[in-house]
Amino acid sequence: MAEVESSVEFSSSLTSSTLPPPRTRIFKIIVIGDSGVGKTCLTYRFCAGKFPEKTEATIGVDFRERLVEIDGEKIKIQLWDTAGQERFRKSMVQHYYRNVHAVVFVYDVTSAASFRSLPAWIEECKQHALGTEVPRILVGNKCDLQDSIQVGTDVAQQFADAHSMPLFETSAKNPTNQGDGSYGRGNSDHVEAIFMTVAHKLKSQKPLVLSQPPGGPGGPGGTVTLGRARDDGGDGARSWGCSSC
Amino acid sequence: MTKPKRRKNNAGVRVNGNGPSVTREPDSWKKQKLAEIHQALNSDPVDIETLRRAAASKGGLLIDELRRKVWPKLLNVNVYDLPHKPGRDVRENHKDYNQVLLDVRRSMKRFPKGMPATERAVLQEQLIDIILEVLKHSPQLHYYQGYHDVAVTLLLLVGERRAIAMLHTLSNHHLRDFMDPTMDSTKHILNYLMPIIEQVDTELHDFMIRAEVGTIFALSWLITWYGHVLSEFRHTLRLYDFFLASHPLMPIYLAAAIVLHREKEVKRTECDMAMVHHLLSRIPQDLPYELLIGRSQALFDQYPPSLLAKRAALQSHKSLSISTFQSFQLSTLHQRPDSVLQRLTKARGSSASRHDHRHPGLEAALSRDRGLLLGQGNRMVKMAVWGLSATLGAAVFAVAQTAMDWGPEMLFQLF
Ligand SMILES: Nc1nc2c(ncn2[C@@H]2O[C@H](COP(=O)(O)OP(=O)(O)O)[C@@H](O)[C@H]2O)c(=O)[nH]1
Ligand SMILES: [Mg+2]
Repeated sequence: MAEVESSVEFSSSLTSSTLPPPRTRIFKIIVIGDSGVGKTCLTYRFCAGKFPEKTEATIGVDFRERLVEIDGEKIKIQLWDTAGQERFRKSMVQHYYRNVHAVVFVYDVTSAASFRSLPAWIEECKQHALGTEVPRILVGNKCDLQDSIQVGTDVAQQFADAHSMPLFETSAKNPTNQGDGSYGRGNSDHVEAIFMTVAHKLKSQKPLVLSQPPGGPGGPGGTVTLGRARDDGGDGARSWGCSSC
Repeated sequence: MTKPKRRKNNAGVRVNGNGPSVTREPDSWKKQKLAEIHQALNSDPVDIETLRRAAASKGGLLIDELRRKVWPKLLNVNVYDLPHKPGRDVRENHKDYNQVLLDVRRSMKRFPKGMPATERAVLQEQLIDIILEVLKHSPQLHYYQGYHDVAVTLLLLVGERRAIAMLHTLSNHHLRDFMDPTMDSTKHILNYLMPIIEQVDTELHDFMIRAEVGTIFALSWLITWYGHVLSEFRHTLRLYDFFLASHPLMPIYLAAAIVLHREKEVKRTECDMAMVHHLLSRIPQDLPYELLIGRSQALFDQYPPSLLAKRAALQSHKSLSISTFQSFQLSTLHQRPDSVLQRLTKARGSSASRHDHRHPGLEAALSRDRGLLLGQGNRMVKMAVWGLSATLGAAVFAVAQTAMDWGPEMLFQLF
């Protein structure tokens, strides 16, 4: 049974002692959204490969990371998991918005309230000067709860379009066996593919300045190799422009 | 002198604070300490200074039976004049209801490992109620994620009604700053951390400043009194002994002591925010708690808050926890021992002033002698269950059975 040890727990892989090759690039991605939408589960799913049976309230910020390989380059994806309760955002989390390469907004498809909070989160992101050049995506989580869906794909897609973000619907709990196996609208996207898509996007951007100096500590155990994850501009809906943020 | 009772623990609920003791010196200091604590409890007025010293010094209050008696005294709570169990309406129209529900429902790890799910579920519902009850009573208090970690510690040790009374006092004093509408005051308290470290180890301080690690790694330590990050409940209880007897800023001094204790590890880490945050936020479970408690006490004496506050960053802010601490401590000086309080309560008798309870018969029975209660435990439990709805009854019964293993005080609090 997988469980998140505590809010300050880290993907266990970091403690393994293998050193990454010199100059491993780090992609720092912040994950935000209302309390309970599944941010901790999504980040855990990506970094540890499983759904945590027990999560706890995230107090402050927490981060997990994983080493992946994209087109032959090893890249460290660092996910910053944040507290959802409003009081933590204002004075606490702001420190961690610095040097963020991408933002993942999460809502819960079974909670209309979590969807209604999105404009506030987008505003928040804007206040931290995460603007035009920072890729952002929108993730609707808990797609496995088919019977209690409150936020339809159409509404979410409209919102995503209006804010020039690609939309993904997924389930941290059960990311594989929904839909017909394709990842089109109305079906669920694989958590893995979502974060890898962001990583691809970041990699395809002009070289990032942030890099890890040679001999830095820690090397996540699980290395994943993914060629081209998927075409992210195919249907035109999944745009990356950030003009409104 | 009452000998600490050993109880069978079928539910795996071993909440006492006794570590595996090394029995070369056959714990004579413990016996002596137990005697001192009992004596302090029986003095009239209660010898609160001795209790505080005992709670902070080696081993803390040693056993849960004593914690149940001493913790209320440290908070000036009269266990014979407790608030009622919350009614159903406590959940109605509370702005924090959803957040509390969410946080409590997923806080499974705080409950003893072997506890059956039905029992845990009942305690979780109680936890929601006590939190909302306290919040409702004091509208100036705002729920924060982590508050439930404090509440659960109290609930597991002393049961529902005592937990309400104690949580109420704690929230208006030690935890008060965390319960403002914003976290600004909390941030202010976190700002004490780096200056303490600087006093002791400038090099470490400078390293952390260069890494820009910030202080959020210690946030959950501070606002949950480490309840959120410790996996062994006995460690949490030991720290609560210490904090209940100490200045509200003491958790920050302990945070400094922990960071200083890990100085070598920290300096060996890459000087980078993420790496240092990761290292520090992950608290080693085998910390030498007694040593660190001693050190934080020493740090506090050597660099008291007033001295640190002279530093620019700490000047302006007004902390309610700190400013009300002295009067709070004074208020604890005139408590009567439990034997007297019990007699006084009985004398007020069936006029049922404050104890206008939904189960008046039970209430009267419960204030009878504890020995009697223990002897008739099962009958008491059944009586209580009869008063409850059929659906909840079975689960409550299970909890009550466990409570009998925990101790009579726990049962007192259940109904
Ligand atoms: N059914 C279902 N439940 C989920 C999913 N993701 C998270 N949860 C549950 O939602 C609750 C909150 O998840 P958590 O990750 O702690 O949310 P956070 O506050 O955003 O970090 C937990 O009880 C999870 O088990 C999902 O994809 N499907
Ligand atoms: Mg979380």
